[in-house]
Amino acid sequence: MMEHLNNDFLIDYLHGQLPPEDDALAHAHLESCASCRGEYEAEAALGEALRSTARAEELEFPSMIAAEIWQQVRDARPSLASQLASLFRPAIAVPVAAVAVVALYFAAPLAQYAGTPAKHVSANYYLEEHAAQQAQNPLGERSPTAAQLIESSAADIGNAADLAAAADAPPLAMMAAADASR
Amino acid sequence: MPRADRVRPLAGLFALTLVGAALGSVSGAEPDAGTLLRESMQAPAKISYVGQLETVRFASNRANANIVKIEHLAPSSTRRWFVAPDSLYGDYIITRGPASYEFDPKHSVVTVSRNPVFADQVTADAIFDRAMTNYKCVETPSDSVAGRPTVSVVLMNKYTGERVVRVWLDRQTHLVLKREEYHANGAVASQMRFEELRYTSSLPEGIFATEAPAGYKQTKGRDYSMPTADIDKAIREAGFKPYTPKDLPQGFALVSGNATTIDGGVRTLHLVYSDGLRTLSLFENATGASPDFGTLRPRTVQFSGHDAQYVEDGPTTLLTWNEHGLHFALVGDLLRPELVEIAKSVVP
Repeated sequence: MMEHLNNDFLIDYLHGQLPPEDDALAHAHLESCASCRGEYEAEAALGEALRSTARAEELEFPSMIAAEIWQQVRDARPSLASQLASLFRPAIAVPVAAVAVVALYFAAPLAQYAGTPAKHVSANYYLEEHAAQQAQNPLGERSPTAAQLIESSAADIGNAADLAAAADAPPLAMMAAADASR
Repeated sequence: MPRADRVRPLAGLFALTLVGAALGSVSGAEPDAGTLLRESMQAPAKISYVGQLETVRFASNRANANIVKIEHLAPSSTRRWFVAPDSLYGDYIITRGPASYEFDPKHSVVTVSRNPVFADQVTADAIFDRAMTNYKCVETPSDSVAGRPTVSVVLMNKYTGERVVRVWLDRQTHLVLKREEYHANGAVASQMRFEELRYTSSLPEGIFATEAPAGYKQTKGRDYSMPTADIDKAIREAGFKPYTPKDLPQGFALVSGNATTIDGGVRTLHLVYSDGLRTLSLFENATGASPDFGTLRPRTVQFSGHDAQYVEDGPTTLLTWNEHGLHFALVGDLLRPELVEIAKSVVP
């Protein structure tokens, strides 16, 4: 099986967004693989071309116009006192009070959660528990790996995430994906 | 006695002999596909082997592969050394019945987990029977796998006609040498195959030793819960009124459930649906606990006015959403549109 880096992986590498371990692997792979190096250089050239185009089309905003706009903004701004007073006009105060009463009414059932920190359940819990039950299937792969790979890999990626979610992570996975697309 | 009368009994005897021979040849022929599958379930309990096993799980935009060196001592001791992916290289798992010991040499840690389903043959038999009800077994032409001649059996869904699983069984031992699972659109969802295999009867028991080596720290892993077929009991223990899907793919039925408290006091109900081959899990909690995706990258999908989040883990899809004061998580080896259709029917 040929092993190549896929495009997403290359782009993440190009922008320095890979974890150190993957970054090192990508660097080593690019040293030895002309095909991937070619793709990397094409990707880098494309990014540079886009940046050059953007820079060329960048225009300076005329300073006189900017100054005039700011002056108009300052002139139009009301005083703080008049802003506060306007809040108590019936046209504003009555609807605001009504909304507050309605909000209190509907928020009351949520009071049981008030003062308690928001609870979360790890998404991996769902995936692992499902995989564990699936292992019961005698026509499936009755091995612990499906569920335990999730936990086993967590130690290496520093989080309770699974291999797939190592977000594009395991180089082998990416290389397999790249092979499939080539 | 006329000659014809003398010949008639002889001809009858000859015919009977032919029928008998034909029946004999039938009874001596290979068993039918369903019987072969049933025997494949029992094979690991009878034969020991060493080999290399490769598993690839395909997602919509990538694939996950792992390669393990495997040593299996019948009936239930197995050691798997990870060769790939890189992050697991050198790690190994020893499984003895329901207990698994994960050895992580890089961090000098042994993690002990327990999954009681591995020791539950009664439930396994019931699931197999359900599969035989919902699927048709078709023997198909096959080739060799890991140098061994095989018999190939395809399991086709009786309601949709879709090919869901194909297995390649060792023609002699009936051990599953290769297995492919397919999505509803025909794409391969996962593949397992032996790259190398050698049967043996001389594996030393010592290689399945589970004691932590010197300098290793032993930690407790997950104790997976054993679902009960007493669904009412599970629902009572959950402590809230759950909702269940009204629209399931044909053949699926609610087979088990359990209520458990997880992650800082979140009472969670887990309902398990199965058609004998595919499994679907529905998790519910009434505490408002939303999922923490960690390093997973969830995406959003909308249905019935809900902003649901989903992630794909190989062929497995996880879909989560909130409704009627409950938090739901649906997990299955189904495509996202199929899961969404099921989700729509949970609280219609």
